[in-house]
Amino acid sequence: MAKYIIKRILWMIPVMLGVLIIVFTISYLTPGDPVITILGSGYTPEKYAAKAAELNLDKGYFGQLGSYIWGIVTRFDFGKSFYSNLSITGEFARRFPITAALGIFGCIIMVVLGLPLGILSAVKQYSVLDYTLTVIALVLAAMPGFVLAILGLVLFGVRLRWLPITGLDTPKSWILPLATNAMPCVAMIMRQTRTNMLEVIRQDYIRTARSKGLSERTILWKHALKNCLIPIITVTGGMVAMVMAGSIITENIFNIKGMGTYMYAAIMQRDYPIVNGCVLLIAFIVCCVNLIVDICYALIDPRIRARYASSGKKHKKKAHKEVT
Amino acid sequence: MSLLEIKNLSIHFVTRYSDVHAVNGVDLTIEEGKTLGLVGETGAGKTTTALGILRLIQKPQGRYESGEIIFKGKDLLKATDDEMRSVRGNEISMIFQDPMTALNPILTVGDQIAEVIHLHGKCSQAEANERAVKMLEMVGIRAERAGEYPHQFSGGMKQRVVIAMALACNPSLLIADEPTTALDVTIQAQVLEMMADLKKGRGTAMLLITHDLGIVAENCDDVAIMYAGEVIEYGTLERIFHNPKHPYTLGLFGSIPSLDKDEERLHPIEGLMPDPAALPAGCKFHDRCAYATDECASCEQELAEMESGHKVRCARVMKGEI
Ligand SMILES: Nc1ncnc2c1ncn2[C@@H]1O[C@H](COP(=O)(O)OP(=O)(O)OP(=O)(O)O)[C@@H](O)[C@H]1O
Ligand SMILES: [Mg+2]
Repeated sequence: MAKYIIKRILWMIPVMLGVLIIVFTISYLTPGDPVITILGSGYTPEKYAAKAAELNLDKGYFGQLGSYIWGIVTRFDFGKSFYSNLSITGEFARRFPITAALGIFGCIIMVVLGLPLGILSAVKQYSVLDYTLTVIALVLAAMPGFVLAILGLVLFGVRLRWLPITGLDTPKSWILPLATNAMPCVAMIMRQTRTNMLEVIRQDYIRTARSKGLSERTILWKHALKNCLIPIITVTGGMVAMVMAGSIITENIFNIKGMGTYMYAAIMQRDYPIVNGCVLLIAFIVCCVNLIVDICYALIDPRIRARYASSGKKHKKKAHKEVT
Repeated sequence: MSLLEIKNLSIHFVTRYSDVHAVNGVDLTIEEGKTLGLVGETGAGKTTTALGILRLIQKPQGRYESGEIIFKGKDLLKATDDEMRSVRGNEISMIFQDPMTALNPILTVGDQIAEVIHLHGKCSQAEANERAVKMLEMVGIRAERAGEYPHQFSGGMKQRVVIAMALACNPSLLIADEPTTALDVTIQAQVLEMMADLKKGRGTAMLLITHDLGIVAENCDDVAIMYAGEVIEYGTLERIFHNPKHPYTLGLFGSIPSLDKDEERLHPIEGLMPDPAALPAGCKFHDRCAYATDECASCEQELAEMESGHKVRCARVMKGEI
C-alpha cells in the first residue's frame, strides 16, 4: 500500500510537467504581444527590448519554457505579474490560505450535512422528511451558485442585516460565502448518498445481516454505510473541483481577497503568468484530491486494496483460489 | 409439541398496480431434529414462505394477510421486533439462495461469523473470534483464512462460510433456501453432505427448499409440494415418493416415480403456473390438470388428510376417483 502511494506521488511529476507545458504553450501561442500591451503606444525600440528582456520574452519558445520550469522547480517562482510587477508566489502565499480555508470548510460542511441527510432520506424513504429533503436538494442543485449567493446577500445581508456582505473579517462573515459555496454540493452529495443507500439496503448481504438478528443500527453503520461510501468518494472528489470553481464566483461576489478574485482579475487583464500559475495550482490540487480519493477507496474496499497490493508485488502473487 | 407449526399463512405483496398472492393458506409442521423438504416450481412461493418465518418479507409491500407461525409455542407474528431479533440467527437461521451475494464484500468472513456469535453468544469479542475460526474449520476452511474477504473465496467456499455463519449459534431450526442451486454440480453433493453431518451432530431441524427431487430423497424426512402459494401435497418422504396422489405431484415425478430410479429432475408439466397476481378460482392447478372436471374450476379445495401423515389438496383424489 505504501509502495502504491509512493508510486502514485511520483506519477504526479510527469502529469504536472505535462500540464505545465500545455498551459505555457497555450499562453505562448495566444495572439497579442504582452510587451506592447504593457508599454502602451509610443515606446521606443530600446524600451521595448529592455521590457522584453525583463519579462524573459526575448528568448524564444524553448528558452522561455526552460526558464519558467527552472524558476518553479528551483525557487518555486511563478514569475511576476505583467502589470503590477508583484511576485506571483508572494501573492499565492497571501491568498491561497483564504481560498483553501473556504474550500476545506466547504467540503467539511458538504460531507457533514450531505451524508447524514442522505442516509436519513434513504432510511425514511417516502416519508414527509424524505420528500422535503428531496425538494430542497433539487432546488439547491438546480440553482446556480451565484443566484444563491445574491439571494443570500440580499436577504441576510441587506434586508435583515444579520450578516456582513463583504470580506472575511469576522467569523460571521464566513457564513454566507461558505453556505453559497457548499450548498449545491451538499445537495448533490445528499442525493447521491440517498440513491446509493437505497441501492445498498436492497442487497442480499443486508438481508443476510438481518437474518442474523442484528439491530437496524448495526446493519446501517457496520454493513451498509461503508458499501454506500464507495461511490460517494468519487463524487466528493469531483465536488472539490466544483468548490474551487465556485470560489471564483463566491469570492468576487463577496469581495474576498483569495485565489478566485486574483484569477478572475488576471483573466480579465490577460495577465498570463498569473493565469498559468493558477491553472498549475488547480491542476496540482486536483491531482492530490484524486490521490486521496484512490487511497480512500483502498481503505474501504478490500477488493481494491488487493489490486493495489498485487500490482505492487506481482512476483509474490498467491494462488488464492483453493479447490473446494 | 412440534418445533415449528405454520398455520394458514398468507403473504401478499401489495403495490399500487398489483396484488401478488405469493403464499396462500400454507400449513406446515417441522418436528424437532427433522428435515422438511419444500418443493415447487419457480414462483411457487417457497422463498416467500421461508422469509415469512423470519419476518424478513420486504416492506412495505409484503403483508401478512393471515396465519400463525408457532415456534416453540410462541407465535412469531405476534413477537416484538426485539424478540424477533433474538430468534434470528440464534434459534432460526437461514441460508440464502445465492452465496455469491450473501456475504458483505467489505467485511472479513471471520468478522461476519464472529458478529453473530458475539451478538447471541453473550461472549467477549475475542472468544467470538475464536469460535468463528472453529466454525470455519468445521466447514473445511483453514483457520488462517478467517481474515480474508469474500472475494477471495470460490462460490463453494462462500456457501460453506454462509453455512458456518448459520450454524454458529446452534439454531434449533435451519432454513436452507436452495443451498446448492448456485453451486457447481460437483460440489453440490459435498456441501449437502456436510450440512447433513453438521445438522445430525447438533440435532438441528431443517426446512430444505429445493427444485431437486434427488436432494429431497437423500435428505428429507417429510415433503411438502407447493404450487401457486399453496401446499398441495404433504406427507412423509416414503408416502410422497412411493404413493404420490396429487396430479401435480404425479406430473413432477413423471409417470412412474421411484426412490431407486434416477429421477433427479422435476419433469416439466404442460402449461404455466398461474400468475400469483391473478389466481384462478377453484383449484389453482385445474387448467393444467389432466383429471380436472368442471367442479375443479369452481370449488376451492382444502388440504385434507387422506391417510395419517399424508395430506392432499384435490377433490377427486379425496373422492377416490384418481
Ligand atoms: N418483493 C416482492 N414484491 C412483489 N412480488 C414478489 C416479491 N417477492 C416475491 N414476489 C412474488 O411472489 C411469488 C413467489 O416468489 P418466491 O420468491 O417465493 O418464489 P420461489 O418459490 O422461491 O421461486 P424460486 O424457485 O424461483 O426461488 C412470485 O410470483 C414473485 O414474483
Ligand atoms: Mg426462491
